[in-house]
This record gives sequence, C-alpha cells and structure tokens, in this order.
Amino acid sequence: MSESRLASSLRLLARRPVLRAGVLIGIITLLITNHLQITLWKLVDGWSNLLVLGSEALPPDFSVLTERAGWTHPPCTFESDFLCSPAVVGMTQTIEIAFLATVFGMIISLPLAAMAASNLSPYWLSQTTRQILAAMRVLPSLIWALIFVIIVGIGPLAGVLAMTMYTVGYLGKLQYEALEGVSKEPLEVARAMGLPRWQVARFFAIPEASNALLSQMLFMFEYNVRHGSVIGLVGAGGIGWYMNHYLSPFQLYDKVLALIIVMFVVVVAIDQISLRVRRGFIDDVNELRRPRWRDILISRDPVKTDSN
Amino acid sequence: MSMESTGGVSVEDPNPVRLRMVDAAIGFDPEQPLIEGLNLEVRAGEIVGLTGRSGIGKTTLLRTAAGLVKPLSGSVECCCTSTTRAEKGAIGLIPQRLGLVQHQTVGYNVLMGALTEASFLQTALSLPSKRMRDETREVIDEVGLADKTLESVNRLSGGQQRRVAIARAMLQEPDLLLADECLGELDAETARGIIELFRHMAEDHRMAILLVDHNPVRARTFCDRVLQLRGRRLIPFDEDEESKATLPLIEEVGS
Ligand SMILES: Nc1ncnc2c1ncn2[C@@H]1O[C@H](COP(=O)(O)OP(=O)(O)OP(=O)(O)O)[C@@H](O)[C@H]1O
Ligand SMILES: [Mg+2]
Repeated sequence: MSESRLASSLRLLARRPVLRAGVLIGIITLLITNHLQITLWKLVDGWSNLLVLGSEALPPDFSVLTERAGWTHPPCTFESDFLCSPAVVGMTQTIEIAFLATVFGMIISLPLAAMAASNLSPYWLSQTTRQILAAMRVLPSLIWALIFVIIVGIGPLAGVLAMTMYTVGYLGKLQYEALEGVSKEPLEVARAMGLPRWQVARFFAIPEASNALLSQMLFMFEYNVRHGSVIGLVGAGGIGWYMNHYLSPFQLYDKVLALIIVMFVVVVAIDQISLRVRRGFIDDVNELRRPRWRDILISRDPVKTDSN
Repeated sequence: MSMESTGGVSVEDPNPVRLRMVDAAIGFDPEQPLIEGLNLEVRAGEIVGLTGRSGIGKTTLLRTAAGLVKPLSGSVECCCTSTTRAEKGAIGLIPQRLGLVQHQTVGYNVLMGALTEASFLQTALSLPSKRMRDETREVIDEVGLADKTLESVNRLSGGQQRRVAIARAMLQEPDLLLADECLGELDAETARGIIELFRHMAEDHRMAILLVDHNPVRARTFCDRVLQLRGRRLIPFDEDEESKATLPLIEEVGS
C-alpha cells in the first residue's frame, strides 16, 4: 500500500523535471544550512543587535560633511571645512580613483579588445588575449586592491591600480564583444584594400562600434565609482577608507551611516548623469536600456547588462 | 634606340591584365564548388558585367577575386600576384551592402579610400594631408553629395549611400574595382549617373571593373562584355538563350 504510494510519487517525480529539480535543490539547501550551522535562532538573536545598531546609528551624524578632518591622506589644504570633511574628501577620492582607473583601463583594454576580437585577429592571438582578459577578471577588485596595497602601500595609488586591472578585464570583454558585433562588409572592404590589421581595427571596426564603446566606458565609470567605495576598506583610498576609520576601533555607526547616505546620493546622481550623457550620443534611442530603480539600487553585472 | 624606334615591340601593353583567373574552382566546400573551370581575364579600362540568378555565387566570385576567399583550386591573380597577397590599394571592393562605416560621416567614409596611400605617421596620428582632404572633397562633389559631407551615413537614402561607397572607391583608385550590385533598386536616372561614373573611372583612370548587375539587358548597354553564371560555369551572356529560358515562365504566369 505505502510502497505503491512511494512508487507513484517517484513516478510523478520522474515525469516532472521542474519538480525533480526543485526537490533536489531543496535537499541541497537543507544540507548546506546544516553544514554552515545557519539557524533561524541566530537571526532572532541578531534582532537585538540590530536594535542596538539602530539606536547607535540613528540619527546619522552629518558632521562628517562639516567637520574638518585633519587626518586625510593626502592632507587637505582647502580653507573650507566642508571641502576638507571626511565625506567630501573620501567621495572625491573615490570618484578620482574611478576616473583614472577608467581612463587607464580604456587605454589598455581597447588594443587588447581589438586583439581579442575574432573578426579582427588571427585565431591564436584572439584566444590568447581572451585568456589574459579572463584571468584579470577572476579576482574581484577588492582582492586586486589587497594585492596592490601590499605592493605599493596604503593610499589611492593602490586603488587606481586595482580598479585599472579590474577595468581592463571587464571592459576588454565588453569591448571585444561589441567589436565582434560590427558588420563584416566594412572589414572586407578594408581587407580587400590590403590594409594592415591594426588599421582595419582602428579605422573601420572601432568607429563603427564607437557608440557602444563610449557607452560602455561611461558605464564602467559608474561601476568603478560604486565598487571604488568598497576598496577603501582594505586601505586603497576613497570613501571606504574613511568609513573604515570610523568603524574600527571607534565604532561610530552614526558617522558611518552618514557616509553611506552621502555615497548613496552621489552614486545615484552619477548614474543618472551618465545615463543622460550616454543617451546623448546614441542616436538610436532603442540601443540603450531604460534605467530602472532595481538597477540603481542593486549593483549590476556589466557582462550581462551592457554587452549590447 | 628609343622605345618608339623599336616599333612598339617592347612598349608596355596599354591594357594590361588586371584580374586573371585560371582554371579556378570557387566556393566553400571542395566537394561541391559553386563555380568550376573558371577562366576569366579583365583588362585595364574594361568594364565586365556579371549576371546570374540569386545564390549562384556572384558575390562569392567577387570576394574570391578580392582575396577574401581562397579559390578551391586554380589560380586567382591581380596584376600578377595572388589576390590574397595583392599590393596595397590594388583592389577596391564595393560590397552588396556597401560596407560603409556606420555612425560616421560621409566625409569620414570617403576619406577611408585614401588610407592606402597614407604614410604610417599620418594613419597613426589620424592626420590626413591637405591633399587627401582636398581630393576627398573633390570626389564627394563628383558624386553630387557636397552638401552632405558632414552628415552621418545612416541618415542618407539608399542611393546616396551607394554613391558614398563609389566615391570611396574613386578616391582609392584601385587597379581592379569589384562592384557588387551597384545599380540594384536605383531609379533609371541615378543608375545612369552611376554608370557614367564607372565609365569615367574605366576610361580616364584605366581601371579594370568587374561588376555584378541583376539586369543583363541593362548591363549590356554599358559593359564591354557581359558574362553569365549558369550551372557551375561562367559563360558569355547570350540574349536569345536567356529569352528562351524566361519566356515559358512568363507564359506560365500569364495563363
Ligand atoms: N561564408 C559562406 N560559407 C558557406 N556558404 C556560403 C557563404 N557565403 C555564401 N555561401 C553560399 O554560397 C552560395 C552563393 O552565395 P552568393 O552570395 O555568392 O550568391 P549571389 O550569386 O551573390 O546571390 P545574390 O544575387 O542573391 O546576391 C549561396 O548558396 C550561399 O548560401
Ligand atoms: Mg550577391
């Protein structure tokens, strides 16, 4: 009796692949939570901690925008206290790091992308370059930052180098995909003319893909501003560094919260401006995705969103 | 002593061969070539028309002549070297879909024709010489697009885009020009203008031109020779043959 019921439910599982996958994932989830010793009780216990955090962080202490910080790195020389406040100095540094990393990244990644594009390069070269770009993407920017902090010491330089590495890896991939998407006729014209490969890329493929390339570069800048906020936590400059300063050892959560709010506002503003600008030079409006709040709140994976 | 006194024996051929295909097989699959036993010579100053039904391999023949596709067998030469290693700027191509660089201006696209004679420094710094820019303006003027020089090619009509591609080829001044369906979907008057440009290029610049035209009757009016792809062969175009082949079809439709 019960055996036949077991048999029939097994048969049901066999017939419905979605159900089967669901059951399998459910079992694995249970096993993992057990293995990591995750229990709901910890969340309930944590609730009281959250209340403590809330009471300490609220209201946010916006003195981070008005009080001069004497401990900025490099030292701030402006007269105005606002311009030398931790929030402004940190955010400016983050944006500066993102800007330099995007510029340097673009300069390095564009030739690499042309080498990696299978319609512009011989097979061996495109495959090799792709492997190099993939290797640069393996490590997240935070790990690159850690590495460069060890090499060149604490400060914005480590941040610039880390973000540049990361930018080359990601932007390079976006770019070679864009270059591979250009129509083949102009390239054939150039090849029939007997032009060398670099001229085919420089004068035919890259100009044709220029809208996509510029839009990707701006996107990468946004992305770098967002991620540049994090790398300061390991000492690579930017607003994260100032956050870390308040977190340990003082645990001044109200100031940290104020910094997070400043960061949030600035990042959303930069995203919006960048979107406007990107819309400006794309004559075909449909080429661009509409902004969505979800994308602004949750950091995007550039590979999936902007590869056109 | 001088060249003239020898009675023209060693005088250079005024119409040298620019494209020579000898016993060539063309296509992508060696088992099933699109065209076999292909022998073709196109000389300087000559316009040769190529017709044939859709999908028979006209574009493939042109791409092979341009050195973009290797012949399956036999030899394909431009000015005595294999087309895959032809001298820089010797071959000009106007593809079926024109191959203009999208989102760039008419001026930019035409200027690309001057790349073959630009020095390394000029291309590396993207600084065309004054002469190149003047010549670019001249050919744009010649095809009647002077007022569109700074317009993006995406905003031009089909016929205007075609003239941009032709202007680019004119600026390049190749020894051998390969034009794929340059006259398709054009009104009679524009087509006539473009035909005049081709004649001018062939006669005054001693270009060899191999062009594909879907309309064999029109091709006969301005080409020195018209060839036809039929089966897997390249044969001279025969009007009677063609009318015999098409008449029953017309009758069928009519009844
Ligand atoms: N890259 C390719 N690889 C394999 N087969 C191809 C390739 N390009 C074209 N072909 C095939 O070769 C045949 C001839 O194509 P081609 O473009 O030369 O025809 P066409 O005569 O120019 O036709 P149309 O008048 O329609 O332009 C077609 O059957 C096509 O499918
Ligand atoms: Mg064709």
